[in-house]
Amino acid sequence: MAKKIHEIRDPIHVFVRLSHDERNVLDSRPFQRLRHIHQLALTYLVYPGATHRRFEHSLGVMELAGRVYDVVTSNATDDVRNEFPDVADDRKREYWRCVLRMAALCHDIGHLPFSHAAEKELLPEGWTHETLTAVLIRSDEMLPIWHDMRIDSEDVVKLALGRKELPDADFTPWETILAEIIVGDAFGVDRMDYLLRDSHHAGVAYGKFDQYRLIDTLRILPRAPSDADDEGEVGFALGVEEGGLQSAEALMLARYFMYSQVYFHPIRRIYDLHLKDFLIEWLGDDGYPTDTERHLMITDTEVTHGMREAEQHAEFPGHLHAYRINRREHFKQIYSRNPSDAEINLEAGEAIFDALCTEFGAEHFRHDRYRQKGGAPDFPVRMRDDRIASSLLVSDILAKVPVVDIDCVFADQSIVTKAERWLTQHRDEAIKPKKEEGASG
Amino acid sequence: MDRLKKAAVLTRFVSALRERGSWGGETHIQKAAYFLQELLGVPLGFRFVLYWYGPFSFDLRDELTGLRGDELLTLNPQYPYGSSYKSTERASYVQSLFEKTLDEYRERIEFVADQLGAQGVKSLERLATGYYVTKGLPKAAVEDRALRLTKIKPHVSHEDAVAAIQMVDKMITKSKPLLH
Repeated sequence: MAKKIHEIRDPIHVFVRLSHDERNVLDSRPFQRLRHIHQLALTYLVYPGATHRRFEHSLGVMELAGRVYDVVTSNATDDVRNEFPDVADDRKREYWRCVLRMAALCHDIGHLPFSHAAEKELLPEGWTHETLTAVLIRSDEMLPIWHDMRIDSEDVVKLALGRKELPDADFTPWETILAEIIVGDAFGVDRMDYLLRDSHHAGVAYGKFDQYRLIDTLRILPRAPSDADDEGEVGFALGVEEGGLQSAEALMLARYFMYSQVYFHPIRRIYDLHLKDFLIEWLGDDGYPTDTERHLMITDTEVTHGMREAEQHAEFPGHLHAYRINRREHFKQIYSRNPSDAEINLEAGEAIFDALCTEFGAEHFRHDRYRQKGGAPDFPVRMRDDRIASSLLVSDILAKVPVVDIDCVFADQSIVTKAERWLTQHRDEAIKPKKEEGASG
Repeated sequence: MDRLKKAAVLTRFVSALRERGSWGGETHIQKAAYFLQELLGVPLGFRFVLYWYGPFSFDLRDELTGLRGDELLTLNPQYPYGSSYKSTERASYVQSLFEKTLDEYRERIEFVADQLGAQGVKSLERLATGYYVTKGLPKAAVEDRALRLTKIKPHVSHEDAVAAIQMVDKMITKSKPLLH
């Protein structure tokens, strides 16, 4: 007789458990491919322990999604049960639990090799890894599995991608809440798992927070009013009990620290840029295939092999970039925008980059710019006296968590000294902003 | 519109809304920006979808966070209703670099701020959803559009829906001279 429950050991969640049906999704080719996709691309060249894959991250996201679901449905108030009747219906509650876990498990199956690197440049207009995820969930290979589990593939797609990635889809309020459990700005379990897991494997403590306390205090709560006109507003969101506020603050701080210390470590970033340059040349004019069969055949293994070959043969596409990565001849950071430069020019990095390219040639430099996305950490908090308040009003910390903003320039090692010397002399002039043409004064 | 120009327009817009008494929370900015882009034709490049409170743009949400990172906007906890956005000294400096762009859109910014700055969230929800409906059914009668609005937002009363559609129609008429 087949085992009913399968247990998988996990360094973050100790055990991840799956039913026999869920195991069929795990064993599918689209999911097994994630065994060969590094969670943090080439970060292992900086943090050697960070060799973990999207496979175990996705298992972790599924585990956390199930836990959050159980907490928020078992603690639902009458208001929530009235608003979302599926919570009170045993059969439907179980259905959505299954859909949510499967959406969590599959949310990353469309990732390109080495995760995010070069997605925008390599995929055709209008495609993202989320689009590929949706295509794979709806694929002929996956449809029989969903059919056997008696779940609708479109429900899995909606919860896996969320409203942001499916602007034309109709979401019910309940589906919106469920998608928030996976990809939400505040309490998305995707982020919870990657902060804990990346932190563990990179060997840093920045990403840790009290996941047990936080999850235990998560609730579906009425949204806090936005102004006097908004009193008594219906509408719900994921929020926390007052007792979980500090663990929510710790999650937001963990995110900030992981971004500033690990994800945007300058050497990690330049390896990403070299990898992007390599992939563009290696894949050629056709770019990355959106055909599912070809997608399933390309993983980090094939790209790593391609890089090894290209590194050794000057005539191979991507040779120079592969050489830079494999021989550790990466570019070096020569400029990072500081607050005083930002006072003069918010795009100082771009101005410096343009000036350096003009002076020495564009092939010697790379510009890296990133602005944090997502909303402010504003979620409802149920106070001990049962009032609902905005998190930003009751937390002294949340409104002050810095926003990650990266603007820096890297230079070829062969030219670093000359470029730095030039920059010392011309920096102020290079970052001086220009008024737009036609303006008075 | 490039990023810094957009920053100049948005920060000026946030100030204009606040000058008319807006609470200046994200929802207020979202709904007003929907009119600024879709009715007044200011090319901000945001994609709006129907969300909890009517038209909403995830891109605009990202942009507001980016503007906080650039220290062009601050997010201020403001009792008793959560937070509001305020533009900074640095935003004034960026605006000074784009006088031509701001001159081009000044009347449209002021128009939206005049019409919507004093409106609360629920009213903005009705108006923005009313305009969303009107864009989809440009030739439909007020009554039909009001029915569509109440179908999308069942908590909006029929009377409020009709009033919202009528105000939207007035805004459309009044805005025409500004669209050149």
